[in-house]
Amino acid sequence: MLKLNLKIAWRNLWKNKVYAAINILGLALGLTAFVLMILYINHEESYDKWSPELKNVYQIREKHDFFTPDNKEHWNEVSNSRIANLIRTKLPQAVAVTKVDNDWDFGSGYSVKTENADPVMVNNIKDSDSSFFKVFDYQFVQGSADKALENKNTIVLKEDLALKLFGTTRALGKTIRMIRWRDDKGNLLTVTGIVSEPKSPQSVGFSAIVRTGNKDKDPDEPTNNNYCLMYAKLNKASDTLVLNQTLQKLYVDFKKNLLKGQKQDDEDIHKPEKVPGLKVIPLENVHSNPPYTLSWFEKLKPVMAISAFLLLVSIINFINLATAQSVQRAKEVGVKKVLGSYKRQLTAQFLIESGLQSLISLFLCIVLIEMVLPTFNQQFNVALSFWHNAKLFVLIAQLLGLFVFVTLLSGLYPAWILSNYNPVAVLKGNYENGLRGIALRNVLVVFQFVISVTFIISIGVMEMQSRFMSNKDLGFERGNLINIETGYEDKFAERLKKIPGVQYVATTTQVLGNSFNVPEEIQYKGKPIKLNTVTVTMDALPALGMKVLQGRIFSKEYKSDTVNTVVLNEAAANLFGKNLLGQTYQKTDWQGKNNIFQVVGIIKNYHNEGFDKAVLPTVYKVTKLGGTSNTNNLLVRFNTAHYREIISKIEKEWKIMYPNFPMVYTSLEDAFSKSLEENRQFMNMIILFSLVSVSLSLLGLFALSTFVAKRKTKEIAVRKVLGASNIQIVSLLNKSFLILVIVANLVSWPIAYIIIKKWLEGFAYRIEMPFVPFVTATLISLIIAILTVSIQARKAAITDPVNALKYE
Amino acid sequence: MIQLTNIEKYYANKGVKNYVLRLVTTTINQGEFVSIMGPSGAGKSTLLNIIGMLEEPTYGIYNFLGEDVTNLNERKRIELYRNHIGFVFQAYHLIDEMTVYENIEAPLLYKKVGSGERASRIADLLDRFNMVAKKDLFPNQLSGGQQQLVGIARALAAQPSIILADEPTGNLQSAQAEEIMSLFKKLNEEEGITIIQVTHSEKNAQYGSRILHIADGLIKEDVAVTA
Repeated sequence: MLKLNLKIAWRNLWKNKVYAAINILGLALGLTAFVLMILYINHEESYDKWSPELKNVYQIREKHDFFTPDNKEHWNEVSNSRIANLIRTKLPQAVAVTKVDNDWDFGSGYSVKTENADPVMVNNIKDSDSSFFKVFDYQFVQGSADKALENKNTIVLKEDLALKLFGTTRALGKTIRMIRWRDDKGNLLTVTGIVSEPKSPQSVGFSAIVRTGNKDKDPDEPTNNNYCLMYAKLNKASDTLVLNQTLQKLYVDFKKNLLKGQKQDDEDIHKPEKVPGLKVIPLENVHSNPPYTLSWFEKLKPVMAISAFLLLVSIINFINLATAQSVQRAKEVGVKKVLGSYKRQLTAQFLIESGLQSLISLFLCIVLIEMVLPTFNQQFNVALSFWHNAKLFVLIAQLLGLFVFVTLLSGLYPAWILSNYNPVAVLKGNYENGLRGIALRNVLVVFQFVISVTFIISIGVMEMQSRFMSNKDLGFERGNLINIETGYEDKFAERLKKIPGVQYVATTTQVLGNSFNVPEEIQYKGKPIKLNTVTVTMDALPALGMKVLQGRIFSKEYKSDTVNTVVLNEAAANLFGKNLLGQTYQKTDWQGKNNIFQVVGIIKNYHNEGFDKAVLPTVYKVTKLGGTSNTNNLLVRFNTAHYREIISKIEKEWKIMYPNFPMVYTSLEDAFSKSLEENRQFMNMIILFSLVSVSLSLLGLFALSTFVAKRKTKEIAVRKVLGASNIQIVSLLNKSFLILVIVANLVSWPIAYIIIKKWLEGFAYRIEMPFVPFVTATLISLIIAILTVSIQARKAAITDPVNALKYE
Repeated sequence: MIQLTNIEKYYANKGVKNYVLRLVTTTINQGEFVSIMGPSGAGKSTLLNIIGMLEEPTYGIYNFLGEDVTNLNERKRIELYRNHIGFVFQAYHLIDEMTVYENIEAPLLYKKVGSGERASRIADLLDRFNMVAKKDLFPNQLSGGQQQLVGIARALAAQPSIILADEPTGNLQSAQAEEIMSLFKKLNEEEGITIIQVTHSEKNAQYGSRILHIADGLIKEDVAVTA
């Protein structure tokens, strides 16, 4: 019986190839978006779950206000290094406690030298203490967890890095020189272990763990603190709540002891807002609870909602098409009923059919995923995989669950409708069950189109905004300009200037890709003005290709430029008022001394951060008066576009000066593209969703028009007999759907307007709300709707009316 | 075998009763070949549907094989379909997605006949109706008469005691119609299968043993056919 039913199911699918293909494709699309989401969630969920031992590992978090983005107290991942010792000695459950470097996001790693090889930059080398591998249960390919970091100046490599440095994982006992900045003498480290990469991602990621000895001790002065990450392994999984109460008490006592004799601080810690805070959270919860920012789950929520919704829409489409198709099967139902089939047997049969279709969709979805995954990974900077998934079984179970869910949801209603056909009515050839449920279908189609039109409008506006951004005048010349990641040194700069083709060599603390803002408050004619200070060298402004609006920029010809002159940008000048050139303002420094500065020029605003941030009112100065700041920017401007060779000459000079540290540089062109990157990724995601959404709503419309055309077969036949032309009949059917699409457009305009307005407000530099995308989206939706409906309408119009009227 | 007592069927529409059948009382015995005749809209098909339990009478008592089946639950009714009643339709109503063989096999599957017996019964039927060569064809590859033969073979497969046929030759040319009617007659006479058919044709009615004339929902005449 099952075999026969499957056979019938297959023959039916084959007979209605087009419908089946549409059904299956639609479902596959919805599933693909959803399964991608599942893959992503699985990936995020799998953080720090690569060993059962990690169940007893906890991250230590302290409440403090150092390094916090808003300078307020938060529970921080980086904590006072003294806590490690406190827990080690005072908490009996603690088996091991380790301190390890945080991921700081400046700099691009350390230089690593092996034997006679050229130095290479390696990211993510972290300094830790002897306990690291006692807390984290890594699998040692060579060496052992107990012995690896026993001594100072040792390093444990991940397999990848070992292969990269030595070409083999058998690197035990070899030595490495690690140089942390360009004129660091460096540490000579011995390789004491190689660990394999765990199957799932880790919140404490590293390419190598070193023990330099810096993490072994705490600062002597009680008021000096070191901050780092800390992890503790306990002898058994404990109740975090109880544990945290104990820790809190321990820490308050500890702080009191530490600050004994320093009366003021001692009183401070009794104020409620200054009570020290210490807690631990299980390692498995670390990734989902980042400090300051939203967790991945919160960030993903809207996307999850959209993808779940798209799946639902594709299921509803499936139901719509299936019920529209069901008329064809009515006879079969009627006959089977009089042959002695139970209703539930019929229900089962139709469920099997939708099961067959959703199974095919699922396979198609897997194929689709295999196809889009590389792009997806690249887009969202993750390494998801389907077949090489660490938890393939879990994934397959999830897919099975999804399969059952989709089959039941999409199959039950059509099966119920079908198995309820009354055999008498069916066998008499009179089985129109009217337009029952048509209102619901209309609402659904409107709903789908609202979403699609909103997406299309959004894409239009986003496209216009990104074009605006990539073509916007940045206020500086980004071509032929590179930024070497290093500080300014006269000796090196002079050598570079001698290379032909190099026009300027300069430094600034403010450049696209690496801007550092030093806020200050000055007094101008008695009123305070808040400014952002940027330290530059003489050539920095011309190197950037600044446009001068008034006065002049710095030059060696003016002795005063090294004394007290400043250049303002437009934004700052606006705060000061008019007739500014030659005027002076004063600033009180930290010693209470009044410094007088003279304004000599005003330059056009230039962008040094993404377009979401407004250009700050900024003062540029060369003089050391009032303090300077320094970041790793060395700007080199070339007077030719063919500067590849010049860069290799610069690298030669660099090697002479700093043989142990490779040169790292970016072109400003790349820095600019990078600043647009996030926006581009977001836009690509929206385009992806729109594609799925638009295809689904077209399928929905197709289903509905099929359904209606079927229902109106008789009406169409009668009209044709009365003399209606094919065109008249096509437009008759089109009209009712166009109304739906127009309604959807009317609904989506204000929705799109509100959402897009909000999105645009995220940019300090943005386009005016354009009108064109709205009109275009409406036109597009109307045209594709007409095309879709006309396929069905034409079919209905050209059928011979005799067939429809025969049995009347 | 079949006892109808005061069967009435009406549709209430805005308080007005539209009678299709009125006070129909009759008995049909095992082995009879009854033709129901009458003008369009007389209620012939409704009567046949009631006999076939596809419709329920609004009023009256229906005994089938000595059992009151007026209000029968689905399970019991389906048991009767599986074991006692075979249907033949004017439009054949073969399942388009199934081959000739599979169409004939379907009722046996529902009846849970073992595969060996199933195969031999179908082989027997195909043989009898000269359709062995056509067993793997689909209905739309057959002529109307052939389709109706398959329809009858399907009705016979479950070895019913009664066949209900609603204008079985209505869509057929006269030569084919004659063939079908002789087949019915043969089945009736040789195998003792009770047959009730609805027909417009006086000629077809002559193949049976008894004619019920119906008009306006009433049995006007109940005559035996004299051969």
